[in-house]
Amino acid sequence: MYVKAVRPTDLNRNTEWFTYPGVWTTYILILFFSWLIVLSVLNCSPGLAWTIVHLSHFLVTYHFFHWKKGTPFADDQGIYNRLTWWEQIDSGKQLTRNRKFLTVVPVVLYLIASHTTDYQHPMLFFNTLAVFVLVVAKFPHMHKVRIFGINADQ
Amino acid sequence: MIAIPYLTALTTFFSYVLLFAFGQIRDIFRKITGWYSSNNLQGYAPICLGLEDFYIRRLYLRIQDCFGRPISSAPDAWFDVVERYSNDNNKTLIRTSKISRCLNLGSYNYLGFAASDEYCTPRVIESMKKYSPSTCSSRVDAGTTSLHEELEKCVANFVGKPAAIVFGMGYVTNSAVLPVLMGKGGLIISDSLNHNSIVNGARGSGATVRVFQHNTPSHLEEVLREQIAEGQPRTHRPWKKIIVIVEGIYSMEGELCKLPEIIAICKKYKAYTYLDEAHSIGAVGKTGRGVCELLGVDPVDVDIMMGTFTKSFGSCGGYIAGSKELIQYLKYTCPAHLYATSLSPPAAEQIISAIKVILGEDGTSRGAQKLARIRENSNFFRSELQKMGFEVLGDNDSPVMPIMLYNPAKIPAFSRECLKQNVAVVTVAFPATPLLLARARICISASHTKEDLIQALEVISRVGDLVGIKYFPAEPKKQQEEEKMLKLE
Repeated sequence: MYVKAVRPTDLNRNTEWFTYPGVWTTYILILFFSWLIVLSVLNCSPGLAWTIVHLSHFLVTYHFFHWKKGTPFADDQGIYNRLTWWEQIDSGKQLTRNRKFLTVVPVVLYLIASHTTDYQHPMLFFNTLAVFVLVVAKFPHMHKVRIFGINADQ
Repeated sequence: MIAIPYLTALTTFFSYVLLFAFGQIRDIFRKITGWYSSNNLQGYAPICLGLEDFYIRRLYLRIQDCFGRPISSAPDAWFDVVERYSNDNNKTLIRTSKISRCLNLGSYNYLGFAASDEYCTPRVIESMKKYSPSTCSSRVDAGTTSLHEELEKCVANFVGKPAAIVFGMGYVTNSAVLPVLMGKGGLIISDSLNHNSIVNGARGSGATVRVFQHNTPSHLEEVLREQIAEGQPRTHRPWKKIIVIVEGIYSMEGELCKLPEIIAICKKYKAYTYLDEAHSIGAVGKTGRGVCELLGVDPVDVDIMMGTFTKSFGSCGGYIAGSKELIQYLKYTCPAHLYATSLSPPAAEQIISAIKVILGEDGTSRGAQKLARIRENSNFFRSELQKMGFEVLGDNDSPVMPIMLYNPAKIPAFSRECLKQNVAVVTVAFPATPLLLARARICISASHTKEDLIQALEVISRVGDLVGIKYFPAEPKKQQEEEKMLKLE
């Protein structure tokens, strides 16, 4: 059960952890376990639990991937201060395996959430809005684009 | 290539996610409680954004007592560690006056020159009385004493190059020389695990920096071919200079560089080579001349050799060795030579005496004994640790051996437990190492005796069982005894 880890050539310590083996599995397992926790704490239907997981996943990933800019370290002298985490991974190369995986996960979550709630409103509306915003934010054409100056620097 | 157990990778990621989540929640509370307290710096930009020191505030400060422990004696094989306590959960640490005598497995004291030595110390004290502790001037004004001249000749002779130049600080040697050698329009190709000083110097030079996969000559060739074919970014003109920077021993891995292959590739594509021997000079090789001697590379083939005196020579400062023209050029352009204070004269004398001891010019064979002892000690320690089932990195003959810990919770556990049993180890975590690969780094010294090493092995084995870091199956003792019986028969 050993995996080999090849050292990445990414100098940005904020994003190089994403290239190690086990990240994708951890991500999926965290989503699954948070669904179980929501289900056991709130005692609601599975569909509502998936909707809650989907929407909180949207909030968390939008905030950390597409809103927060820069890195948590001061010693790279701020060269990434204008880039969000999504724009930093894989050194800005588009359509890599990591990016494709991260684009597919919200879509799969949306499908699960809408299937288990039987496509009812109002959950369907919020789920669709969330997945639309997330997927559009991950398009290659949106690299370094700030619509209407939202989240741009001074 | 490191082999991580898959379950450990998953749990390490999960631990970091948990730490990150708690850190963010605490930050949210901090913002809420700080909203009401006003400050009279309205209109000023904040000194640091809240995001920048997140790692330091929320992760590093929690285990701060494992780093930066003050010591109160010379860093010999056994030394005194000052005990500290904290009243506010490790945010501030207060020193007590109690000390504990611990086995030193963290200092870069490869040849044992860190404590007072019978040949070096009297000479150092004499030179301090003659030349005073500091020259109080830069090299070009009044800071070049006869000791500096002798030291430069000595170093050039030792390393095998025509000339050398010495600086007062090892970090500065890299970060002030690289901007002088390379400029805009040049290309720096450096190993992905190079030290921060090289990264800083490369960034400060203004040249384009490309990174190749650690110790992989085939990837270096790929990167060189791609870059030479493309030329400078946007204009596609040919590069003015190409330099490849590698280290002799990588301090976080304990691995030796694959020097012969890398030199062959650089000669093929006509790129300059820069070898940083901070950890390997004086510690490896039959007569201590570093990685070139160990791997059979002629020093003529390496264009620029750099090293520091902090590790094997028990002093401070760094040197660059190369051709006479290169050193002359550095002497009139490098700011570390023109403006920085020169190396302290007693420190220079310590280096000269240490080199004399290593080469046997002091009339005894202590140098050869030290070199043989450090090699034996490192090989013994490494093979014993591997037999116990720890994951130890690094090549044979290298005195640096990292023991993999992986989980962030095991870092303070290992460090504190070892300190309780009077063994002081250095643990390294993110961001000095990759996120998953936290480790405890052990540096063996020639002043460690066999009894010290056996005691250290027992302590580490006990703590390893407690913390759970024996990731590989240990070699069963019965098998070893059977092998011994067969050998006797």
